[in-house]
Amino acid sequence: MADSLPETPPPSPGTVESPGAVAPRRGFLSLLAVIAGSIAGLVPLAAGTIFFLDPILRKRQEVGGGMLQAVNVSDLPTDGTPLRVTLKSDIPDAWTTYRDRVIGSVYLRLMPNGQVLAFNDTCTHLGCKVDYQPAEKRYFCPCHQSAFGLDGARQNKTPPRDLDSLDVEIKDGVIWVKYVNFRTVQAKKEPV
Amino acid sequence: METPTPPSPKPSMVANLLGWLDHRTGYKFLVHEALNEPIPGGARWRYITGSMLTFAFAVQVITGFFLWTAYSPSTQTAWESVYYIQHVMTLGWLVRGIHHFAAQAMMVLLGLHFLQVVWDGAYRAPREVNFWLGLVLMLIVIALSLTGYLLPWDQKGYYATKVATNIAGASPEIGPQIQQIAQGGSAYGHLTLTRFFALHAGLLPALLVAFLGLHVYVFRRHGITVPPAAEGKPADTFWPKQVLFDAVGCLVTLAIVLYFAYSREAELTAPADPGEDFPARPEWYFLFLFRFIEFEAISQYGVAFGAIYIPTVLMILVFLMPFIGRTRIGHQFNRLFMVVMLVGMAGLTVMTIVEDNHNESHQAKLRFAERDAHRVVALAKREGIPPNGARALLVSDPFSQGPRLFRRHCSSCHRFDGHDGTGQKILKTVEADGKKTQVPEPETAADLKDFGTREWITRVLTDYDKTFQPLENAGEAGKKLLTGDMSAWCKENQKVLADAANAESLNSLVEFLAAQSGRTDTRPFDETLVAAGKEIFKSGMLKSGSFNSSCADCHAMQVGDAESLSDGGGAPTLTGYASRKWLKAFLRDPGHADFYGEKNTMMVFDEKRLSETDLNLLVNWMVGDYYRPGKAEH
Repeated sequence: MADSLPETPPPSPGTVESPGAVAPRRGFLSLLAVIAGSIAGLVPLAAGTIFFLDPILRKRQEVGGGMLQAVNVSDLPTDGTPLRVTLKSDIPDAWTTYRDRVIGSVYLRLMPNGQVLAFNDTCTHLGCKVDYQPAEKRYFCPCHQSAFGLDGARQNKTPPRDLDSLDVEIKDGVIWVKYVNFRTVQAKKEPV
Repeated sequence: METPTPPSPKPSMVANLLGWLDHRTGYKFLVHEALNEPIPGGARWRYITGSMLTFAFAVQVITGFFLWTAYSPSTQTAWESVYYIQHVMTLGWLVRGIHHFAAQAMMVLLGLHFLQVVWDGAYRAPREVNFWLGLVLMLIVIALSLTGYLLPWDQKGYYATKVATNIAGASPEIGPQIQQIAQGGSAYGHLTLTRFFALHAGLLPALLVAFLGLHVYVFRRHGITVPPAAEGKPADTFWPKQVLFDAVGCLVTLAIVLYFAYSREAELTAPADPGEDFPARPEWYFLFLFRFIEFEAISQYGVAFGAIYIPTVLMILVFLMPFIGRTRIGHQFNRLFMVVMLVGMAGLTVMTIVEDNHNESHQAKLRFAERDAHRVVALAKREGIPPNGARALLVSDPFSQGPRLFRRHCSSCHRFDGHDGTGQKILKTVEADGKKTQVPEPETAADLKDFGTREWITRVLTDYDKTFQPLENAGEAGKKLLTGDMSAWCKENQKVLADAANAESLNSLVEFLAAQSGRTDTRPFDETLVAAGKEIFKSGMLKSGSFNSSCADCHAMQVGDAESLSDGGGAPTLTGYASRKWLKAFLRDPGHADFYGEKNTMMVFDEKRLSETDLNLLVNWMVGDYYRPGKAEH
């Protein structure tokens, strides 16, 4: 029984079983033990790791994915002066959905042919908001003096590309804009 | 893991590297110590429970960490983040499922481990301290499961944990203070969650690791307790045979946990709502205690007696086992004591389950709670969760609130499919021969389950008296309706309506009247039938014969904006019958000339009795105007 057990240090492994005779069996048991132990340990770890990689594994809801309602065509100045308009959308943040929040602003400009031109007002250089300057008829960035013409074309070498134009639809006199943010710094127009 | 190998004549690069490392760290000695522990009498399956427990705890640490990366402890985000883990994130259901069921596996393994230790007398000298360390570990695991249960902040966890903190509050002298400290205030709130979470994911696991380290250290010092049957047999070392046995035990544990995680899924009931009751039961391994303190013989001495004093005394007895078990008879006493305790716990657990299964009211409440749980998930999937939490989804949902409003405002007279709207039978207690029994309380107004649908209208037309039969219980006023014009019309025209040649005519009239509701939840209305029904309503002419008086003779009916079929003649208007608008106007003022007029016996639901919001919720539910998820989602 328990009481009778000697409290001596463990004998060395060699004294327990004769190593030569049982070596293959011992090796097989070791292999099984390693396999069984590894499976038992790795399964929860793997499940957890995949769970942790959720941000890159799961397709997320796009913020303001579809066309967003901006203003009426009749709200735009008829002389072609751009108007800055904020866009609202539902913003999902993990489990929470924020309703009808401002997600960004755009410049809308009425063209003589009745079409509407839309620019994301984020500077393509480093992401400040550009301002329209009526006197110079240009979009100007207060951060590093990027300048863009009314058509969005860059007027100096500071920005890497023109202002980012956005898709526009006009339905029953209402302007709808597909709002997208693009990567700054680079010459290629690429959604974030 | 590698066994130390004897040095070979030409050491490989790996061996060189390992040798370098061993020289600096001495790891080989540690590995040797860990793996070459001798097992007198040989490796045995019965020694695996300790390793299985350690494994289950490791699984909890792993899955717990990952759950931590997505969990947010506050009253407005706890349920919501758990919902997100369970229903949205990749494999979230699996990680949470493993955590949920491995916690229960730990409880079972604890019981087994304890049983084994006491049965084999492994608590005796010199192992007393290790026995106590084991008991401390058991208490830590119980604390872990208690604190973890609250974290999803769902109805079940909320109400079950409230019981636990109220029991703590019943402790002598400092009870209320203990309760307030645990809760982070005098009521449940944000701080209850942050505190429980800090305990569950911080302090308690750290304590468990520390005590587990001591437990294993002391265990190694004294070695395994060898059962008589194994004495004298050749010894093994821990590695590899016993490790293999242990690993297989862990695999089996994992397989069982995975099976439950896959087939049952970890439960998530509706978000905690202090205003909404819940048929609370603790997790199954605490059911015995729940039932124990329910006995009148126990409860008469107060909560503290059954839930604190007696368990404490029993626990002290368990702590004293090493001393009691010094003699042969003492050991037999310990064994008996443990068996009696385990049998008692199992008995109480089974008793609670059987009683609950036979408790119709409890089952109805469970079903209704489950309905909420499914509903809030469907709503969250559809429209997202507002910043103030998921409870708001249920509060503004007709499908959830309708039955509750029906219970509160309608069920004193009406029934809904025989119950109060929420699935609960309405009973009253009668005393006969000195015995109290529960019998159904007779309803005094119609059962409104399918109010306004084709089925309802068919029943009213073909058997008015049966539809409104409960009015017999409503005294004189009710009898008046049962002997009124409509009742008489129904009897006079019963034969012509039952004529097989008029089946199509009846269908048409029913279709026309049912279409008044504008319901979209039943099958679409047939325009041809509706048009034919309109003519019958007006003229009373059927395919074979006619009514003795047409509907339009008594009931007002306006179709669309322009066409008035009838201005009525004293009976309720059927314009838009059973539509939202009709039902709202009717409930607000059933005694209006458009409805029952002077004959009205129905309660008036004005703004004071029923707010506009509640009226809309109730009416939208009754006319089927609420979100319906696809079958797959529900």
